[in-house]
Amino acid sequence: MFGYVEPDKPELKIREFEVFRGYYCSVCRSIGRRYGQVPRLSLSYDLAFLAVLLDATSHEAIQGDIVRCFAHPIRKRLLIRPNRFIEYASDMNIILAYYNLKDKWSDEKNLLGGCGCLALQSAFKKAEKRYQEKTRRIEELLGELNRLEKARCASVDEAAEPFASIMREVFECPHVEDERRRKVLGWLGYNIGRWIYILDAWDDLADDVKSGSYNPILEQYRYDGGDLDAFKASIKDKLDFSLTYSLSECEKAYALLGAEKNTGILDNIIYSGLIVKTDKVLQGRCGNNEKKSI
Amino acid sequence: MKKNPYKVLGVKEGASYDEIKKAYRELVKKYHPDRYRGNPLADLADEKMREINEAYEFLMKNAGGAYQYQYDYDDSSTSSQGSSYQYQSQQSSQYQQNAQQGYADESELERQARACLNRGDLNGAQRILDRMRNRNANWYYLQGLVFLRRGWYDRAYSNIQRAVNMDPSNFEYRNALNNLNNQSYGYRHNPYYYNNYRSSPDMCQICGTLWCADSCCECMGGDLISCC
Repeated sequence: MFGYVEPDKPELKIREFEVFRGYYCSVCRSIGRRYGQVPRLSLSYDLAFLAVLLDATSHEAIQGDIVRCFAHPIRKRLLIRPNRFIEYASDMNIILAYYNLKDKWSDEKNLLGGCGCLALQSAFKKAEKRYQEKTRRIEELLGELNRLEKARCASVDEAAEPFASIMREVFECPHVEDERRRKVLGWLGYNIGRWIYILDAWDDLADDVKSGSYNPILEQYRYDGGDLDAFKASIKDKLDFSLTYSLSECEKAYALLGAEKNTGILDNIIYSGLIVKTDKVLQGRCGNNEKKSI
Repeated sequence: MKKNPYKVLGVKEGASYDEIKKAYRELVKKYHPDRYRGNPLADLADEKMREINEAYEFLMKNAGGAYQYQYDYDDSSTSSQGSSYQYQSQQSSQYQQNAQQGYADESELERQARACLNRGDLNGAQRILDRMRNRNANWYYLQGLVFLRRGWYDRAYSNIQRAVNMDPSNFEYRNALNNLNNQSYGYRHNPYYYNNYRSSPDMCQICGTLWCADSCCECMGGDLISCC
């Protein structure tokens, strides 16, 4: 996964940040408990966001414990008690991470990808069993994504469609009972997926030019091998519109979700964190290596 | 049983008229049908708006302030008090009328495409558009709407822009284009993001401003900061 969904930390209350990290830790633990220690390394911020968002659809009060964790042995941290949403986020993390590594292995023969893929194999089998229909849909959409990439699809919108649809699939959590809410979550997921895909394509421009890999932005705006910075400057406004509009749709969906709790964190991410990230990446202040975990 | 109107408006029970009005205005802005036009969630936004209007009318009628809310409040209150915003239902019905009756000079296919779009049948609308030979401004406009609904905003924008360029006098096309721009501008300038630490002046700005003010004063013969 990509790890672009982040809170705007300076605006977050310390309490809210603790809770957010509590969700992250809880998803991580849930992976450890159900799938073993190695798959825990694959967790990203995005799935922590998913856990916070899904949990906001239920009335149940947040319950947490202060515990010590071997990843952070010095200080005890808040850990949200696992529930069905946190477990769902951890299942989805396994499925997405597995496909991501598999894709790296088959595309670039990336050794890390191959090893990771092997390490996640049994965990993936378990998660797949839990959500067979979802996994099948995701696999289908990934096939579509591969096909478009092979055909060097020259439309950013079209190329973003499969990944955005995967996110729709992931956000439409079957544990959310209200059908209308699932629809809202699906639209939110679609737009956030679209945003992630396009932002990632922009972030990868320099690498893809160097390696000659497929990149929908290079194809759509017909990059001719000239100065990359000039090229980027010439299309930045268009990409900015596309990204911002996607986010505005996320926000509209979020407004209709009617979150019952966690609104401090969610407001922060939806109204600010995502814009801050967009600007950072568009201005090239976020290299690929800067995607970090907590 | 209805939802508690205080909860719908997000105000404390026993809130004053002014508090209720203020909360109501904020909510109307948030769920305004203009914001959700062409959005797959438009029906949910409409429903939310109706709920908000009902709650507001109920509270306005039943004396805000110390009124104790009873859960089985009378539903007939919706017909009274013209004070709340009614345009939402008007607007959406007008929108549908446009789609159903069609404009006088619109061809049959265009009318069908609009009807499909209204039903949310994107594939149907796309099939009809693909069949059409005459790629006029209206065609590009409709194609733009289909893309918009699908979530393909880049193409939606270029198609609608093209429609505007082909027929700059058409109000509907221009309106749609403005709406696209407003949505993304509005999101970027939302109060949460805009009123935070980024917008407060830093030391450089403060010093610069003081220096400017001092220079101006000195020009006029006065002095703001006497030591320099």
